[in-house]
Amino acid sequence: MAAEAPATLAADTWQRFRRNRLALIGLVVVALLAVAAVGAPWLAPADPARQSLIEKRARPSEKFLLGADEFGRDILSRIIYGSRVALLVGLLSVAIALGLGLALGCLAGFAGGWLDVVIMRGVEILLAFPYLLLAIAVVSALGPGVLNTTIAVGIWGTPTVTRLVRGAVLAARDSEYVRAAQALGATPARVLTRHVLRNILPTVIVYSTLFMANAILVEAALSFLGLGVPPPTPSWGLMVSSGRDFLLVAPHIATIPGLAIMVAVLGFNLLGDGLRDALDPRLRGQV
Amino acid sequence: MTRARLAFGMVLAVVLAAPILLGPGGPAEAQKRGGTLTIVRPTDPVSLDPQLETTAPGAWVYFNMLEPLLTMDEKMQIRPALATGYEVLSPTKVRFKLRPGVKFHDGTPLNAAAVKFTFDRALRGNPPARWASLAGSLSGAEVVDDLTVDVTTREPYGPILRTLAMYCTGIVSPTAVQKMGEGFSRAPVGTGPFKFVEWKTNTHVILERNPDYWGDKALLDRVVFKVVPEEGARMIALQTGDADMVLLPAPAQLPALSRDPKYVIHEVVGGRVVFAGMNAATPPLDDVRVRTALLYAVDRKAILDNILEGSAVPARGVLAPSVFGFKDMQLDRLYPFDRAKAKALLAQAGWTPGPDGILQKGGQRLSLSWLAARGRYPKDGEITEAIQAMFKEVGVEAKVQFLEWATVFTQFRSASFNHQMFTLGWVTSNADADYSLYALFHSKQVPPTGWNTSRYANPKVDALVEQARRSMNQAEREKLYGETQDILAKEMVWIPVYNTKEIVVTRANVKGFTVHPVEYNLWLGKTWLDK
Amino acid sequence: MLTFIARRLVLAVPVLLGVVFVVMLTVELIPGDAVALMLGEHATPEAVARLRDYLGLDKPLLVRYVGYVGRVARGDLGRSIQQNRPVVDELADAWPATLELTCAALVISALAGVAAGVVSAVWPNSLFDGVARVGSLFGLSMPVFWTGLVLIVVFALWLPWLPVGGMGSLPHLVLPAVTLALPSLAMVARMTRSSVLEVLREDYVRTARAKGVAERLVVAKHALRNAAIPILTLLGLQAGQLMGGAVLTETVFSWPGLGRLMVKAIFARDYVLLQGAVLVFALAFVLINLAVDLAYGVLDPRIAHHG
Repeated sequence: MAAEAPATLAADTWQRFRRNRLALIGLVVVALLAVAAVGAPWLAPADPARQSLIEKRARPSEKFLLGADEFGRDILSRIIYGSRVALLVGLLSVAIALGLGLALGCLAGFAGGWLDVVIMRGVEILLAFPYLLLAIAVVSALGPGVLNTTIAVGIWGTPTVTRLVRGAVLAARDSEYVRAAQALGATPARVLTRHVLRNILPTVIVYSTLFMANAILVEAALSFLGLGVPPPTPSWGLMVSSGRDFLLVAPHIATIPGLAIMVAVLGFNLLGDGLRDALDPRLRGQV
Repeated sequence: MTRARLAFGMVLAVVLAAPILLGPGGPAEAQKRGGTLTIVRPTDPVSLDPQLETTAPGAWVYFNMLEPLLTMDEKMQIRPALATGYEVLSPTKVRFKLRPGVKFHDGTPLNAAAVKFTFDRALRGNPPARWASLAGSLSGAEVVDDLTVDVTTREPYGPILRTLAMYCTGIVSPTAVQKMGEGFSRAPVGTGPFKFVEWKTNTHVILERNPDYWGDKALLDRVVFKVVPEEGARMIALQTGDADMVLLPAPAQLPALSRDPKYVIHEVVGGRVVFAGMNAATPPLDDVRVRTALLYAVDRKAILDNILEGSAVPARGVLAPSVFGFKDMQLDRLYPFDRAKAKALLAQAGWTPGPDGILQKGGQRLSLSWLAARGRYPKDGEITEAIQAMFKEVGVEAKVQFLEWATVFTQFRSASFNHQMFTLGWVTSNADADYSLYALFHSKQVPPTGWNTSRYANPKVDALVEQARRSMNQAEREKLYGETQDILAKEMVWIPVYNTKEIVVTRANVKGFTVHPVEYNLWLGKTWLDK
Repeated sequence: MLTFIARRLVLAVPVLLGVVFVVMLTVELIPGDAVALMLGEHATPEAVARLRDYLGLDKPLLVRYVGYVGRVARGDLGRSIQQNRPVVDELADAWPATLELTCAALVISALAGVAAGVVSAVWPNSLFDGVARVGSLFGLSMPVFWTGLVLIVVFALWLPWLPVGGMGSLPHLVLPAVTLALPSLAMVARMTRSSVLEVLREDYVRTARAKGVAERLVVAKHALRNAAIPILTLLGLQAGQLMGGAVLTETVFSWPGLGRLMVKAIFARDYVLLQGAVLVFALAFVLINLAVDLAYGVLDPRIAHHG
């Protein structure tokens, strides 16, 4: 029975997911992003850092499919490479949030007592910061850069995961199934892996996808403010920022990267929404 | 030249210059009184007190409130301001006669004591004024009587008059300084045609007409200096009428504006050289071959054509042509753009390409740390990025850190500055080579004492600039400065990029404004609005 | 009811203290020689020692924390390193602008969002609903700073109807407020739609309809009141989002508020000012959440009694 359940769950999920057109669009977008990020060196028509000053601000043409920026760099190539930064920061920060959140949530749920109280108060305090503020505070202290941006975004996502995991741990601890397993001699570690994780997996998947969307937005915002990736690394947010001076003469420099951000975020949002609806419509209230 | 002849010569110069300078000149249009002039510029000042602020954001504002003893007109000639005449008593002492009946904005009288107070505060204050390091051998002032003051220097100082004409040596009201303490930095009191009204941080500074001004009273009622960091936004403000005057306009839009009769572009070749500086104290830039290779690697013409787009002229050395003592270093002949030559030189210096294309030697990558600001000088950020890319083409990696100007400035002035490259612009405020060559290249002028951020040290150059400073013989000084620049040309610690054109764009109804080669001298005393 | 309010207030205190602690910590993360760098040229040994003393960098963490809380309670947030002015003065200059902007944005997103959501729910799957749902998805995904730039290009450059930036008269407020409001508007619309739809399906509403009450009245009277709670909670959350977005919007539109001040402080390494600005934002957020919590209790007496 136990072996069958996951297969049926997955099949069920896929059925529901397939019927949701918007979710499919999201899936396609995310897949394209992944392809762009991984295949950047092969897909990009030009070196994203190579300048050709004489071709500055070129309009979209055969040579520069999406035009060139103020240094004559190919915008299309920079967009493609920019997906690397976006996805890298997104994935790594999700990993940090999940890792830290899992650890803290389990600690809070299993250990209980004052440790639980301390951790949950900590979560509340971190959640008390408006979304960009925490990231800004961390980055301004640590300094700009990809790594620090990732850490900042990851820390920002940790409280919600902690709450989720703790809730799941507490629920699992009280369930009949787990008590029976423990009576049979299962260690807390086994309880953890088999029941808690399996129970929260759907929620975590949905949350991670939606979190990616936000992570991309926050990274773009930080880069826009000059607190993220330093030049000449292509980051979509940085590209929008440097294009601001040319809104009158060459609006494409600022607007196209912004479109990329929007499409990427939209893709993850659609995918996340679709996953949530497919995995368990009842989850809608929780996540 | 005997002392007497020198004195006579100088007095004569002033007397002769006076009629030209005191009369307004230009077509006699019916000037109109009144109105508010709105000016947009990128940054807010750190302070409005020359004691704490010598850079343009503050100077643009206080230049109209605080006046020095002398001033320099648009042709870089000395003219009287608060002093009506002077007499050189000795190589280290000049006597000035002050203009009678001049009052500060707070009603107290201008007198020799105020001059002495200003100089003491600057030179002997704790800490001394930011402008003290720009004043050369100036040592102080002595009160002779109410309207006579003797200005003294530590040793014979050739550029003394031009130094006293600098924008930052404005005389302040001692009463106000003592009464306001720190508050003076945000609300200065001087003798100028405008006086302070209000400063809303990061938003605007407002000045209003001084009805008791000793000279031709200002024609405008008010001047508002607004902060608009983005170039594009400043231009839009001009076009919508939100602003009447734009400082640091967008080069890309100048051609279109010059064809439009609604706007006037005021431009003149300025006194500022913007450059990428190299820190010669730390490897690998202590090796002159590496530095030379970097100079070969930069296509200065491409930068000027495509980033500055006609808003600046190529730099011809470390000084601007309008400066006394300037010598054309012929950079295009000595260091033409030649990537092959750059690579060859670097190879000669022992650098070989590493696996990622960046050169390395003995396990060390040729990676330079670079500190720069954005928006302080026209296109400074873009130039930095462009040169960064050009370095990459010859295998040199540059990691740029962009910070706010105030922070960057502070780091440049610190003794522990450890970046290898930096972007800076230097204006010779008194149009005398001593001002630049001494402060920038004398080995003892490493910050915080002076401005030798490159930590350049050559005893021969030291001797030359010291001798030139002490000499009162202008021909001899010029020759010494020429030799200095010859030496510097062979051991460059700068990559000079451009010479500013001071460009100010105004709406066509702004009249009576002339742009000055020295960026800081933004004189609005004769400006009026034609409604 | 009073116990509910009192309980909530008491619970907020540790959060407030915690927020202050975290804000203080961010300054702690500064690398060691940053103090000297902050002072730069005027870094006489006495000045460095004074700043280290003020920041209390040599004392144990708890002592520093208590000292900081005490200073904050007295309203002493230190002096801005760059401007050498008390931080509270700098903040006082800037916060009205941010308040104006976020209030305007909140009003726009609340009114337009609720209205759109209600209309969507009353006529589900109509053209309006379809457009609104797609629009919301886009609104959620558009980066605030990009939206601002696009609006500038369209409404201030191509059609010169509105000014490009800066603060001034009402036209100056339009673009920044709309830009800031869009993501929240999208969320509020979505949430309103689903909440109202859910309520519309409930039995008693069907009963009310069977009695012949006009559909609009049904919606207005019952559905909206019951859906008010989740909507209100969302609005409270949005207040926080808006404050974060204000940083970006203020930068794009040169709006002289706290957000722009904060960004300048970061680049100037003016940690004292930055600390003050972050603190104000965070505390405001906590207080707004508290207010929403209390309003929640007032609106739904069940919460007050059990909550």
